Amino acid sequence: MIEPGEMFERRLYMHIDWLLLGAVYVLCALGVVMIYSAGGGSRLYLTQLAAIALGTVALLVCLAIDYRSLADRSHLIYGFLILLLVYVLLFGVVRGGGRRWIALPLFNLQPSEFMKIGLALVLAQLFGDGRRRAPNARDMAIGGALSALPLVLIARQPDLGTAATLVPVLLAVAFVAGMRLKVAGILLAVAIVAAPVVWSVALQDYQKGRILTFVNPSRDPLGAGYQQIQARITVGSGGLWGKGFMKGTQGQQGFLPVAHNDFIFSVLAEEQGFVGVLAVLGLYAFVVLRTIETARLARDRLGTMLVVGVLASFTFQVMYNVSMSAGLAPVKGLTLPLMSYGGSSVIATLAGVGLILNVRMRRFTN
Amino acid sequence: MPSSLFTDRRTATARLTAFTAVVIAVFGTLAVAFWYFQVVEGATYARMAENNHLRRLSVRAPRGVMFDRDGQLLVENRDAFTISILREHSAGLDQTIRRLSTVAGVDEQEIRETIRRHRGEPSYRPITVIDDATLAQVSAVLARRMTHELPGVVVARVPTRRYPSVGLGAHVLGYVGEVGEAQMSADGLRSGSVVGQSGVEKAYNGTLMGSDGERRVMVDSVGREISTLDEVPASEGRRVKLTIDYALQQAAEDAFHALGFEGAAVILDPRNGEVLALVSLPAYDPNDFAAGIDRATWSRLNTDRLRPLQNRAIQGRYSPGSTFKAVVAVAALEEGVITPDFTVTCRGGANFFGRFFQCHLKGGHGTVDLRHAIEKSCNTYFYTVGNMVGVDRINKWATALGLTGRTGIDLPNEGESLVPSTAWKKARTGERWYPGETISVSIGQGQVSVTPLALAAFYGAVGNGGIHYPPRLLKATNDGGGWRPVDQPPPQGVRLKPETIAALHDGLWMVVNGSGTGGRARVAGRDVSGKTGTAQVISLQGGRAAAGRTEMDLRDHGWFAFFAPRDNPEIAGVIFAEHGEHGSSAAPIARHVIETYFAKKEGTAYPVFTPPAVPAPPAAAPPASPAAGERR
Repeated sequence: MIEPGEMFERRLYMHIDWLLLGAVYVLCALGVVMIYSAGGGSRLYLTQLAAIALGTVALLVCLAIDYRSLADRSHLIYGFLILLLVYVLLFGVVRGGGRRWIALPLFNLQPSEFMKIGLALVLAQLFGDGRRRAPNARDMAIGGALSALPLVLIARQPDLGTAATLVPVLLAVAFVAGMRLKVAGILLAVAIVAAPVVWSVALQDYQKGRILTFVNPSRDPLGAGYQQIQARITVGSGGLWGKGFMKGTQGQQGFLPVAHNDFIFSVLAEEQGFVGVLAVLGLYAFVVLRTIETARLARDRLGTMLVVGVLASFTFQVMYNVSMSAGLAPVKGLTLPLMSYGGSSVIATLAGVGLILNVRMRRFTN
Repeated sequence: MPSSLFTDRRTATARLTAFTAVVIAVFGTLAVAFWYFQVVEGATYARMAENNHLRRLSVRAPRGVMFDRDGQLLVENRDAFTISILREHSAGLDQTIRRLSTVAGVDEQEIRETIRRHRGEPSYRPITVIDDATLAQVSAVLARRMTHELPGVVVARVPTRRYPSVGLGAHVLGYVGEVGEAQMSADGLRSGSVVGQSGVEKAYNGTLMGSDGERRVMVDSVGREISTLDEVPASEGRRVKLTIDYALQQAAEDAFHALGFEGAAVILDPRNGEVLALVSLPAYDPNDFAAGIDRATWSRLNTDRLRPLQNRAIQGRYSPGSTFKAVVAVAALEEGVITPDFTVTCRGGANFFGRFFQCHLKGGHGTVDLRHAIEKSCNTYFYTVGNMVGVDRINKWATALGLTGRTGIDLPNEGESLVPSTAWKKARTGERWYPGETISVSIGQGQVSVTPLALAAFYGAVGNGGIHYPPRLLKATNDGGGWRPVDQPPPQGVRLKPETIAALHDGLWMVVNGSGTGGRARVAGRDVSGKTGTAQVISLQGGRAAAGRTEMDLRDHGWFAFFAPRDNPEIAGVIFAEHGEHGSSAAPIARHVIETYFAKKEGTAYPVFTPPAVPAPPAAAPPASPAAGERR
């Protein structure tokens, strides 16, 4: 079943989605520009450029190998990533209150970012193996267990934001795979019932605090609420045309914490204004819609599921991060895919893009 | 075929379409939200962002520097650091206050109190909570700012008053303090402005204050200044040259300290009213006020029984005692009631209106004319003459030579001197004047009460032949374009008859240079002329005097009023020695000042004060009869 390297023939190039690829790299480039601006003269943007280069390699690898071969080995990839997550919990590098990283010579690796791709692969394999029926309770139980294991490991780091991005992967894949709406309804009901339990048992105080603060930012205007208030001010003060490149006062002078990272979109909104926001939102919408089209065009059920799985975490993160950057969602350590500073995030996202291109490119092959 | 491999493609397609709809809806909603924040509410958020990073900092103008008449520095400015809280950025104000109190080692309640006092002000205006912070406090706060532990805490450097000769002339110079609420609205001053609260600092506040500048600065999220956008520089207040002579001021205060007296002294130039020295003791240190006085010092100054904040020279009102006899003499001579040769025979007292009024010399002075009556300070003579002149004419001449009401010196809160009259008593009490009261008034007792300043002005007028000038402290100002002298006020008073002047000058000269009571003020070749006096403490304080007072507190006050030389005097003044018992104890202080004046004028070495070898004569027992008994 392994597609040999020779199979990556010339004709496949013709089916590469250059438009999607172009949009993705434009977003990456905009990200570098914003990081340069928000970094206030630091060399963060160089690191980001290096990450993009590495991500491009990952993209090419994910593009070159037939996604079906990858799906066949998804259990290995998944298992390897689980081991990494366990390793992180035991020996990971602690930074900013979380044990999330594995120290590597050049940069710190954040396995949880890659877990999104791994989960998408393994769930695609589970729900997309060509069976004609809708997923049954057993499928859902296996899928739930496969999702819950990394989710718990990541949540233990603790990194609730990244853990949460795994949930849409499962839901989206199951949904598109034909999960009965009745089951979806039951899941929703369970979630509603479980929420207070999760609130009192699973959430830590600082996590509760963030949610409470989101509801009422003035509860803690210099702590968690501060970021939310400052994010809104940053975005709002950009106006229609923005303050200009490197001229944002909020991002430049540190009123907005982690501007180059979680709040990169706020920096964009401040410096490039509503016009810039529309352009970037448009690019992201294009990437998402184009990818949905890819899912529709996929040659097989596996391809559809894989694309949907990759897309789910990507879309969830974009929506959440953009909302957060305008103070519309509680502050969580969630990056804006492609634009935010962060090596693992960029590399994993570009690898995911490689998978999407892979599925589309091979829609006519056997 | 693909369809055979993926038969539920229609379900998937439908659900992907649902996805598409959700994505479009969410992105559309986000776009609308951003449009609302950025375009509709954009101006509001732009203002909030500006408040975040723009600060208007008031740049305090240095107050004008003060010099003495010869350019000796009296008041200057130094840099002090203040620590302020900007409430705008301190929504966690409570925590900021707590941390600041720990970091700077200041009482938390005090900070809260300060902030409470200013709570009505706009939140962008910094509230100074620590004046004159130590370097340790400043560096502690600056270090914490980097870590965002003290948001909205601002350190600023402000020019602050410095009085190099600690306490010297404190009551002349006055002190500064933060503007009060009443003052703020009256003078349109900004909250937190530092204004003069007493003395020259207050009287010439407008001249000294200068105008504050303003700096618009960009700050980052931890309050560090990044750049200055624009600046309106502060302009320093005008420089001021006082009429005070540093050497004389110091000579007078030295002599007081050497003798251990509290009290007051006023030395002036009778030819133009310039005040050369003005002393009030005990004094305070104006430096204590310069950067905001602390509560303990303030309450200590206010509860001190010796009232160091009171300017005795212009606010203290005392009965002038025998120094007042010169007023009676002027009135009697000018009104033609007597000639200088008019004689009275003193037998140790005399009867008036059925009561015996005693002279301080039990055996009596015998027959004395006016000159000798002044020299010997004979009460009987002045009882008699005062009775002939009447209280209203005494009041008239006291007023003519500046001894009633206020002299108009350029200092705030001058006290009013009082020489009674029949009209005054009628208005005051509704009762008519009893002629018997005039007898007490004739020797400066009864209702007469004068400030040392007014008495000095009067003696200056006497020395000057009746013409006098309102005492003043401001000699010249300089707004950067050179010294501009202050206009001389028009002369006041009446030119006295030559024989009046001659008789008075002779009598007063004999007090010092004859066998009178002012011998201790004698300076060879300077023809010092003057008069001693005693202000009774018992009669002033009545019954409450006894309780809780030491023996010292019950001693009478000593006066010495003088001018020198006798003809065309250049210097005149009054020494008031609190509890000095009698005028002869004040006279050595006058002598030291006069010697210093002439030494300076002639460029010889300044004298060193030597207390009189023999202690002041012991006090006679207070007179038994209530209205009687001026002793010298």
